[in-house]
Amino acid sequence: MMADKTFILRIKRQAAPQERVVWEEFEIRYRPHLNIITCLRDIAEKPITRAGDGTTPISYDANCLEEICGACAMLINGYPRQACSALVDNLEKPIRLEPLTKFPLIRDLQVDRSIMFENLKRMKCWVPIDGTYAIGPGPRMSPEQQQIGYPMARCITCGNCLEICPKVNDHTQFVGAAIINQVRLFNMHPTGNMHARERLEAMMGPGGIQDCDNAMNCVKVCPKSIPLTESNNEINRQVLKHAVWDWLNFSEGPTERDEEWKRLGIQK
Amino acid sequence: MNEKYETHEHDVLIIGAGGAGLRAAVEALNQGASVGVVCKSLLGKAHTVMAEGGIAAAMANVDAGDNWRTHFCDTMRGGKFLNNWRMAQLHAQEAPDRVRELEQWGALFDRTESGDIMQRAFGGHSFKRLCHVGDRTGLEMIRTLQDRGVSMGIDVYMECTVTRLLKDGDRIAGAFGYWREQGRFVLFKAKSIVIATGGIGKAWKITSNSWEYTGDGMALAYEAGAELMDMEFVQFHPTGMVWPPGVQGILVTEAVRGEGGILRNRLGERFMEKYDPKKMELSTRDVVARSIYTEVREGRGTEHGGAYLDISHKPADYVKRKLPGMYHQFKELADVDITSGPMEVGPTCHYVMGGIRVDAESTQASIPGLFAAGEAAAGLHGANRLGGNSLSDLLVFGRRAGAAAAKHAKETATPTLDAAQVEEAAREILAPFERRDGEGPYEIHRELENTLQSLVGIYRNEEDLNRALTEIERLNERASRVRVEGSRLFNPGWHLARDLKSMLTVAECVTRCALARKESRGAHSRLDFPEYDAAWGKKNNIIVRDGAGMTLRQIPVREMPEELQQLLADQK
Repeated sequence: MMADKTFILRIKRQAAPQERVVWEEFEIRYRPHLNIITCLRDIAEKPITRAGDGTTPISYDANCLEEICGACAMLINGYPRQACSALVDNLEKPIRLEPLTKFPLIRDLQVDRSIMFENLKRMKCWVPIDGTYAIGPGPRMSPEQQQIGYPMARCITCGNCLEICPKVNDHTQFVGAAIINQVRLFNMHPTGNMHARERLEAMMGPGGIQDCDNAMNCVKVCPKSIPLTESNNEINRQVLKHAVWDWLNFSEGPTERDEEWKRLGIQK
Repeated sequence: MNEKYETHEHDVLIIGAGGAGLRAAVEALNQGASVGVVCKSLLGKAHTVMAEGGIAAAMANVDAGDNWRTHFCDTMRGGKFLNNWRMAQLHAQEAPDRVRELEQWGALFDRTESGDIMQRAFGGHSFKRLCHVGDRTGLEMIRTLQDRGVSMGIDVYMECTVTRLLKDGDRIAGAFGYWREQGRFVLFKAKSIVIATGGIGKAWKITSNSWEYTGDGMALAYEAGAELMDMEFVQFHPTGMVWPPGVQGILVTEAVRGEGGILRNRLGERFMEKYDPKKMELSTRDVVARSIYTEVREGRGTEHGGAYLDISHKPADYVKRKLPGMYHQFKELADVDITSGPMEVGPTCHYVMGGIRVDAESTQASIPGLFAAGEAAAGLHGANRLGGNSLSDLLVFGRRAGAAAAKHAKETATPTLDAAQVEEAAREILAPFERRDGEGPYEIHRELENTLQSLVGIYRNEEDLNRALTEIERLNERASRVRVEGSRLFNPGWHLARDLKSMLTVAECVTRCALARKESRGAHSRLDFPEYDAAWGKKNNIIVRDGAGMTLRQIPVREMPEELQQLLADQK
């Protein structure tokens, strides 16, 4: 019988943040259409390195395996992407797996991305309605308006855009493209728009929009092709305008939503 | 005891962070309760994100004739009248408000020309009723609820598995679990617990469900003495990918057949010629499913136990234009080009209608302080679920569960945790490490998957079900001696050993209920009893733990009030 075709997976391992980094190599049996998650499952079932030493299963996050939940983001051959849609056939061998570096390490390929939720809170990405009044028929919004928001709402909070951003580092509190995009989304939403100003205030503060230096890496690694640079530009514009209005002490200007739709040539 | 284990105390503890769990959390917080949410994976990554179709709600934005009454009738008909009528009524009445609420919180639904929420048609619904966000409605729901929950300050315990519910006398007192990451134990003290853990698909080999779907919530409730209901009703989609593994179980939409897809067996025969020569591949869903099943059963299946579904005879451009989602999904996830060769498809386990028996108004299970919502609960869908009714289920009954759990907590004194129960839970979960011999959990899980796939699948008969029962008993025996190597630090084998217990429990429930119901109804198809049975049409199966064994009994379906009966008669 012919020996099975195999390939090598090199994985950066660390039992805990303060522990030593170890690279382990695994020899994986090749099958067509194999993805990285399947490789990690193979290892979990038989945790033996290429050298034949027993080891522990690799820690990693994964859930839907359809690239719709964002859990399995990691560095694959140095590039932040989802492991479920990273196919062995299309990757240069040996394949290198490392954890995302911009988030606190938990273990192996697993990191703590809860900062993204904290940042959502910081930038007030929600609609403060308490449900104490009748719901009513709901706001009207044209299909064209909805279509603008649709691509922005595709975010799966994977963290790839933060990972690749040079401005997300230990020296800044930059919230990153995913959150800026959410601010834009909420600011154009009919109910979210009522609190647009508060979000823009937050965006003017520490870690806000001014920390973006337009490297435009974010848009290249987004698995959902969200127009992140467009969102950054739009929020930049909203913030500038907000600052000017503020300075001129106008209490009521046109809302951000009206403005954005007008620029895009959409009639209300 | 509190010194020995990390302990958290909440009024309401919610197990599961999908649509139902998060909606319940938001509601309980609204009511002023202190809320904790425990989930096996990460916040925002729950199985709900995979839901595509939409949320069924009779808002009448597109079809002015729609109203809750029609939605109610459709749901009852789809469920073949085994539904809890009160749940179906509440669901139909409240769904529109739950959708509007979600929109107010920031969800961005597709729109009609006049600016209202767009609604699409779906099988079994008399009107265009599904509110949707492209084909990723579930993600939108989770994103919106997650943003809201986070901003309200819910305490989320991520990557944590609950292994046992703790009781104080007859009532709920809390839960015991472990951090998947560290293996450390954790105790939750709570006056109310909401089970929102979703379904059971991972017990089958081919399933569209995510890895979390191991029936934990149902098994926890069962262990604690709660009643499970209608477990035989498991929904299979006739065409899921059976190969390659990266996309195994993922649904292949019926539109592929609609656009001219051809079904063939291993021998290259276009087998629909035998079963429905007139309509061929466009035959009804159940005929297609049964034809594939028969081909596989009689040895003409593909290498991986399915049938070939081929659309590659159509021009590639046409396929890409007509089926863009399908094309991209398989291209990206498995580098399978559906324009250049056939897919391998077979039945995929999709949804379970059965679950924890609950009270319609409060979602309370048969244990005081225990509530259940979403797929983990039974009743709303009866013998079969209509597409779109699950997302609305999560919102309507998630909210009800959150409210009722908060209310119960307000009216209840703080329970006491029983040290003996806690120690027993700790001993049980550690046992696999202490065994000197015994096998690992992986092979047992594979055999369970294969058993259910081949014997308790889309078509059933007495002989198969009996064989399955014997097999499950044997697997149970092996699982009770399972041995795990390594440490408690992130150890997937250990996690599986625990999940296996839940899966075996629900597998046995499904099989026992399926054996008992000697008729075909909704999603339960018995080849040896292919017809409806009037007597069985008035009974729900109830399973409850009796010592170490399961007791199965039947209860009469609750009688519908006159006006609802009249409604159904009028809308025939």
